[in-house]
Amino acid sequence: METPAPSHSPAPESRTDFISIRNFNFSYGQKQALFDITLDIPERQVTAFIGPSGCGKSTLLRNLNRMNDLIEGISHSGDIFVNGHSIYDPHIEVISLRKRVGMVFQKSNPFPKSIYENVVYPLRVAGQNRKSVLDETVERSLRGAALWEEAKDRLHESALGLSGGQMQRLCIARAIANRPEILLMDEPCSALDPIATVKIEELIRELKQEFTIVIVTHNMQQATRCSDLTAFFYLGKLVEYDQTQRIFSNPAQKQTEDYITGRFG
Amino acid sequence: METPRHILTSFESALENLRKDVLMMSSLATRSVENARKGLFERDEDWCNTVIADDEEIDALEIQVDTAGIDIMLRYHPYASDLRNVIAAMKTSVNLERSADQAVGIARRARKLIALPQMPETARIAPLFEKSFSQFNDALKAYADGDIELARTIKSRDKGLDELNREFAETLTEMMPDHPDSIRGFLELIFIARCLERIGDQAKNIAEDTIYALTVKDIRHTQVEPA
Repeated sequence: METPAPSHSPAPESRTDFISIRNFNFSYGQKQALFDITLDIPERQVTAFIGPSGCGKSTLLRNLNRMNDLIEGISHSGDIFVNGHSIYDPHIEVISLRKRVGMVFQKSNPFPKSIYENVVYPLRVAGQNRKSVLDETVERSLRGAALWEEAKDRLHESALGLSGGQMQRLCIARAIANRPEILLMDEPCSALDPIATVKIEELIRELKQEFTIVIVTHNMQQATRCSDLTAFFYLGKLVEYDQTQRIFSNPAQKQTEDYITGRFG
Repeated sequence: METPRHILTSFESALENLRKDVLMMSSLATRSVENARKGLFERDEDWCNTVIADDEEIDALEIQVDTAGIDIMLRYHPYASDLRNVIAAMKTSVNLERSADQAVGIARRARKLIALPQMPETARIAPLFEKSFSQFNDALKAYADGDIELARTIKSRDKGLDELNREFAETLTEMMPDHPDSIRGFLELIFIARCLERIGDQAKNIAEDTIYALTVKDIRHTQVEPA
């Protein structure tokens, strides 16, 4: 499926096929979850995946950083390219791929460590222990996640003392600590109150200046507020992919219209 | 293919009720225009008074439609065709209320004409009534039935009504020097013709909103007939 024109022009050097999914099929054992998915996700835009539960949107998202590799019995065909390179290339290490593709989950999952240690965790795992580098990363990441002002005076306190919304922003800070190119978000606000949700949504709009963002959401208002492009999936197939404004005002496919207007049986 | 019903039954009912209120307004506004016509041609003040009295009910319905439309947007966040239908319903109700106001204007002028000696020139306004009324009826039919083709005819028909109104006003103005005793009556007729022309405008607006709701094409302020 061709990339729809973005709602506003990305920077000239941006790729319209930064993530390129080609004829992608995916199965959990005998059960096929994705069928012949082809779509291009543009650089430094927010792309939302929507659809009913079990439609394959989270499965596809988790394939973008090969998270599904951890599940036994999975198989796939087709390919996924990031910036022109296949993520299934035998020369690519999964660890290095995941550095380039950060992920934020539905439920915030801070480690039982300090705020500081949560943010620098990916750097420590990679062997980085220089204080100046870690300090710089903590400030940059917390600022990037709009948490610096709230956390700067309590960096060495437990992350578990943060509110739900702050924890999720901390997880975003941790996800961007390694300067990934892509940020995947799997229903990042579903456990948050409306104020915390608004903060994350504002953050998503700011983060897209720097990152290519793919977000899975059940919340259609969130998709309309945050995303530039929206892909609608049903029963493992990509039904429609277009500008968000068009998908929610005048979708081309009846299945999409039925879903977004709440007529899906 | 039949459109499936909404999963959320309260949303389905709210949309249905909104539509019913607009259709009720349509019936009342149509009746008011028709009653105003009877009042004028039958020189019956009772019909005129009925039009003026009925306006209150139409005003109340306009507020009801607005309240219900806002409530639907607030509670259910409609998308795509649902959103367009809610917007079209709210805009149509405004046009219906204004049409009913024009009917009231006609009724008030008709009462003044009834107080004057009967004028043969009153019959000259009949074609304007016929054209305005049929245009208004068809716009409402197009809205109620979702008839795109019928809605598309209204815009060009409105130009004919505008022309008829202009000709009518010119004719009566030219006649005034030879009929000084009828000038007041002629002026009332010219104002009535203006009301009928305005009803045609409201019909055009309703047709344009219907086309937008059905096809997502905004044909307002366009010269070219939509394909």
